[in-house]
Amino acid sequence: MTFELFIFYLFAAVLVFAALRVVTVRNPVHAVLFLVLAFFSSAALWLLLEAEFLALVLVLVYVGAVMVLFLFVVMMLDINVAVLREGFTRYLPVGLLVGLAIVAEMGLVLVRYFVLPPGSAPKPVGPDFSNTRMLGDLLYTHYVYPFEIAAAILLVAIVAAIALTLRRRPGTKHQDPAAQIAVRRRDRVRLVRMDAEKKPE
Amino acid sequence: MTFEMPDFWLALPEMFVLGMACFILVLDLFLPEERRGISYFLAQITVIGAFVSSLWVAPAGVQTTFDGMFVSDPLGTFLKLAIYVLTAGVFLYSRGYLRDRALYKGEYYVLGLFGMLGMMVIVSASSLLTIYLGLELFSLSLYAMVAFDRDSLRASEAAMKYFVLSALASGTLLYGLSLLYGLTGSLEMSQVAQFAGGHAGEHYAFVFALAFVLVGVAFKFGASPFHMWIPDVYHGAPTSVTLYLGAAPKVAAFAMAMRLLVDTLGPLQASWGPMLVVLAVLSLAVGNVVAIAQTNIKRMLAYSTISHMGFLLLGLLAGTRTGYSAALFYAVVYALMSLAAFGVVILLSRAGFEAERLGDFKGLNERSPWFAFMMLVAMFSMAGVPPTAGFYAKLAVLAAVIDVHQTWLAVVAVFFSLIGAFYYLRVVKLMYFDAPADPEPLTARLDLRVALSANGLLLLGLGIYPGLLMGWCLAALH
Amino acid sequence: MITLQDYLVLGAILFCVGVAGIFLNRKNVIVLLMSIELMLLAANMNFVAFSYFLGNAAGQVFVFFILTVAAAESAIGLAILVVLFRNRRSINVEDIDTLKG
Repeated sequence: MTFELFIFYLFAAVLVFAALRVVTVRNPVHAVLFLVLAFFSSAALWLLLEAEFLALVLVLVYVGAVMVLFLFVVMMLDINVAVLREGFTRYLPVGLLVGLAIVAEMGLVLVRYFVLPPGSAPKPVGPDFSNTRMLGDLLYTHYVYPFEIAAAILLVAIVAAIALTLRRRPGTKHQDPAAQIAVRRRDRVRLVRMDAEKKPE
Repeated sequence: MTFEMPDFWLALPEMFVLGMACFILVLDLFLPEERRGISYFLAQITVIGAFVSSLWVAPAGVQTTFDGMFVSDPLGTFLKLAIYVLTAGVFLYSRGYLRDRALYKGEYYVLGLFGMLGMMVIVSASSLLTIYLGLELFSLSLYAMVAFDRDSLRASEAAMKYFVLSALASGTLLYGLSLLYGLTGSLEMSQVAQFAGGHAGEHYAFVFALAFVLVGVAFKFGASPFHMWIPDVYHGAPTSVTLYLGAAPKVAAFAMAMRLLVDTLGPLQASWGPMLVVLAVLSLAVGNVVAIAQTNIKRMLAYSTISHMGFLLLGLLAGTRTGYSAALFYAVVYALMSLAAFGVVILLSRAGFEAERLGDFKGLNERSPWFAFMMLVAMFSMAGVPPTAGFYAKLAVLAAVIDVHQTWLAVVAVFFSLIGAFYYLRVVKLMYFDAPADPEPLTARLDLRVALSANGLLLLGLGIYPGLLMGWCLAALH
Repeated sequence: MITLQDYLVLGAILFCVGVAGIFLNRKNVIVLLMSIELMLLAANMNFVAFSYFLGNAAGQVFVFFILTVAAAESAIGLAILVVLFRNRRSINVEDIDTLKG
């Protein structure tokens, strides 16, 4: 067993374990953390496949932003964990059985029919090859049309998220610096002339 | 690396819509509440501008650009024009409805335009990547539109269901696309099609990938057994969004099926034909039978959509040019019928009142004979009663199925549409033979009345002279 | 030697875990969203593996776009979830019965 193969099986095992825990664990916060573990192991596997840029993006953008967003939402919403798990064990054996059967069938088809033509082993790239540069060259030339659509998709996500969740509640006590600066003495201080209190008898 | 400058001219309609959508998004921030009409007019101008520019840039033959990722062909031009007309109709119908309900915001039009842009991208996609991105752009806009009435529990539940099921379908589609890429080493549809036809040894691998792709396509159609989202989303979403969902997306679903099944996996027609038979028969059965039990008109029309999609699939599975053109004709006519039916629902609704129950249609004839007649035309057209457009659409599809010697399918389809006729005629009976619960005459804006009348008359006209539209459909598929 | 099939089977396992997660956790919307992420990860794994073994960069570009779309998708999904929670005070799907399936 070569070192590469060892690395592959190690991370693949961690990945499968983490994925299984994501869907079976009791607490949603733990599920998010297991999903983070799954993404980290995937990133390691992608490094083996010489997709360095994507591996880093997966960790930096996906784990760093999307998963943190998940964590925010999970912690923001006060979720009653116990109720959510009802009925889970009831479905589990059936789900496990069906899942295993489907994996076996898919695996058979994939192993049997998705074979590469002989002699088409991937050629290792040279030491000065930059994966990031290659992707950048492609993205801004050949893939400029999908790139623009992706931009539109992100814009839609921004518009949608804001339109759905932003609320302007009346009565919030936020500051208005312009008003604070423009304020004058007579707006704030009022001198009141009062007669002195009479001495009690 | 060689790089050829793309022909941006061909994508003029897409660029125009994207630019205008961004412009409306920014402008709307500075508009006071009472000037919201400006956003509406700009949205309509965008749609009209897209219509004109699509006609303007349409090439005579088939042209691809952006490195084979964008195709401009007669089918694409025709589908886009249909999408523009339907979207303009939706914006027009829903204006009063939105205004009555504090939903009259610029975001509705911005998201609507982005959804339209997504459909345009699907229509002119010639790469697996662009069709996926178009699909997502369209779906993301729709999720947000369904949840748009954010204080409505029903709408947010519907949006959640739609989101989860739709994301499941996109994930499955994506897995299928990844297998197609692995088999061919290319994302271009024409190249995938070459491989799919060429290698007999890999036939099973292609069928395996096809199964995943087909799930994604069937979901977007709402064909049974992937129809679970349709009734809930149609019912839960604000009627103006249901209207949007029922019109142009059906044409886009047809485009997606044409691009993925015919253009990409055309050589596998012998494999996907039988799969579509199952989907079509199930959809016809589920749609028509379950619709009978509905008391809510939006749910009833949702199940009716499922059955109509079954009919549309019949045209596709024939696998012939007449079959495809019949399916295209059906998609356009169905979208028009759905627009008319939901248009009447919107017409009957007022501020604080949703005309959703079948009972709300009682005695419509006494309240407004003309719009009762329009609803009658829409219902007759859906049921397939001559001389409406729906009759001719069904006839064309059935003829295509009989052409490929699947007469039994035609018999099944006719049987289920006879069952279906019952619930359409029930609405007609309520309108003409029952006393109105609310005798008040209908009031509506002039533009809505004119558009709705034109829509109903169009259904009648297309039924009497179907040749013109059918001719366009045939020419588009040349 | 790691083969293409190894990666494909790994992708298939991830895909099935994702699908199974959706059917097992029908009550918990958060886990549903995470199961969808797993399905997308499976497709990404396939694309990256094919891209490497076929010596073709298109697969990696596709993954780049899938990551973008998935991020946008989770943002909208979570926004809908927040709206739902505000209206309902629960994310239990079983409670979602105002609409009958």
